[in-house]
Amino acid sequence: MNYMVMECRPSYAVLLDEEGRFLKAANLSYEVGQTVCDPVLMREEPARQRRTAWWISSGIAAVAACLLLVFGLGYYQNYMAAYSSIYLSINPQVQMDLNRQGTVVALEGANPDGEKLLEGYNGRGKDKVTVADELIDRAIDMGYLSEGGQVSFSIDSPDDALFQAYGSELRTRVTEYLDGRLAVTIEILNYKDGRPQETPVSSQTPSTSAAPASSAGSPPVSVQPAAPSDGQTDYGDTDYGPGSDGNTGYTPPAASPASQAPADTDYGLGNDGDTGYTPPAASAASSVSPAPADTDYGPGNDGVTDYVDGNTDYDPGHADDGDDDDDNDDDGDDDDSDDDGKDDD
Amino acid sequence: MKDEHEIAAKVCAAKEDMQIADQLIGTYMPFIKAETARFLQRPPVEGHDDELSIAMIAFHEAIRGYSRTRGAFFKYAAMLIKSRLIDYRRREQRHGGVLSLDTPGDADDTPLGDTLADPKDTNRALEAREATRAEIGELSRQMQDFGVNLADVSDNCPRQQRTLEACRKALGYARDNPALLDELLKTKRLPISQLAEGSGVERKTLERHRKYMVALLLIHTNGYEIIRGHLTQVMKGVAAK
Repeated sequence: MNYMVMECRPSYAVLLDEEGRFLKAANLSYEVGQTVCDPVLMREEPARQRRTAWWISSGIAAVAACLLLVFGLGYYQNYMAAYSSIYLSINPQVQMDLNRQGTVVALEGANPDGEKLLEGYNGRGKDKVTVADELIDRAIDMGYLSEGGQVSFSIDSPDDALFQAYGSELRTRVTEYLDGRLAVTIEILNYKDGRPQETPVSSQTPSTSAAPASSAGSPPVSVQPAAPSDGQTDYGDTDYGPGSDGNTGYTPPAASPASQAPADTDYGLGNDGDTGYTPPAASAASSVSPAPADTDYGPGNDGVTDYVDGNTDYDPGHADDGDDDDDNDDDGDDDDSDDDGKDDD
Repeated sequence: MKDEHEIAAKVCAAKEDMQIADQLIGTYMPFIKAETARFLQRPPVEGHDDELSIAMIAFHEAIRGYSRTRGAFFKYAAMLIKSRLIDYRRREQRHGGVLSLDTPGDADDTPLGDTLADPKDTNRALEAREATRAEIGELSRQMQDFGVNLADVSDNCPRQQRTLEACRKALGYARDNPALLDELLKTKRLPISQLAEGSGVERKTLERHRKYMVALLLIHTNGYEIIRGHLTQVMKGVAAK
């Protein structure tokens, strides 16, 4: 580059380069107006403040980088890295990778149907239950899942507690979600050993699998409404016996919606489950049966009391119906008449 | 100790003003010569030895870069002079095998250069240099009216390419609007706000390089054809816009 000498001083010269910069240089016997090409330019000493600023800023940057690394690692471990996986299989199989918070970080189709199911679906950052619900919805829409189908969750988690927690959460919440819409079997498996989750007694879930069977059997059993038959049938009825639970009387009440649930409890602990699950399946058929008329089976389960009452106190009128000797005897005793007679006498 | 203080104060004053620095160099010329002589291992001849000029510019650099916290000024200056002279010698070594045209010839003391046929017309070159000098003299005078001298301009010149380009952009806008240049000459003030608005350059940039902008704009008013001819890159940059 050529420089034009603009000013000459004994100790320096001012040069103008072709780009329009004015520079100071050693005055190697230059003259004003001369054009030179290889001057010794004066170097700009970097200001000390700038260097200090550089040190400070680099220090801050280093600290920031460290912090970022530490927190970033924590964040990554907590939110980004896959910690456990859930394999949802209906027929399509989908693998959900979850972070430590139980949020979905990755979704992958495990078979072609699974890939099809995931097409156009983004589940990243959603909760596992939400994703499961939405995927089941999609499966229903796409025709993979229908009435009586089975949904299985295979949970691959590093520790058993997490497996239990995820298992119960999925089971209850998905059941709730599908309640009243579709009867499907929900199965929770441990991915490692393939064993199903043992369900706690409190949850109603265990009977889910049993439901279809019981519901299938129940409609024919549905009890006759007749009031007069109370005494007899009741006696003969094994409902009260421990063995009879599944079969008979419990289905009809179940037919009517959830309101009947409290009624079930009267029948004893073991029965609860059955009735709870039957409603959706049985509802259509059983709604026909005039459950309400049947007092025995009715919500109050007055039947129970009826038996007691019938035996003891009930009026002579009933005694006639009552057929049994006991009744007669009781009636024969006729507290009233005796008393009266005695009193009269 | 007191001397050190005095010198430090002088150096601090010289940092701000190139003329004071020039005077300081005049005062301490013996020191500079001594340092150069130590390097050359012979006394330097003023006006002949480039090394002395290098030592002087190194002294300037020392004035600029000195900080009280770094110790005594003269030690620092001596170190800087020595390192600049070493740099210079290394650079010159690249031309080691080349004979200078100024070397005395064999027969008499006529320099070798004079014995060659000069491809350039010396007279015309001299004339051109005279014309250039006249232009530069005129420019310096005009700049005096703005309270600016060439040393200030060189201190004020943008160091970063980006800033330089911003200044060129502003210049391009002024060239497209000659009214601005007229206003500059008339009012002796730089129309910063109009330049900033018209060219889109940050006002602060222009303010910071006011003296440089004055010089650049003055060069692009009438009458500085030779200097403008030298500024090929600037013209190219402006023409591209």
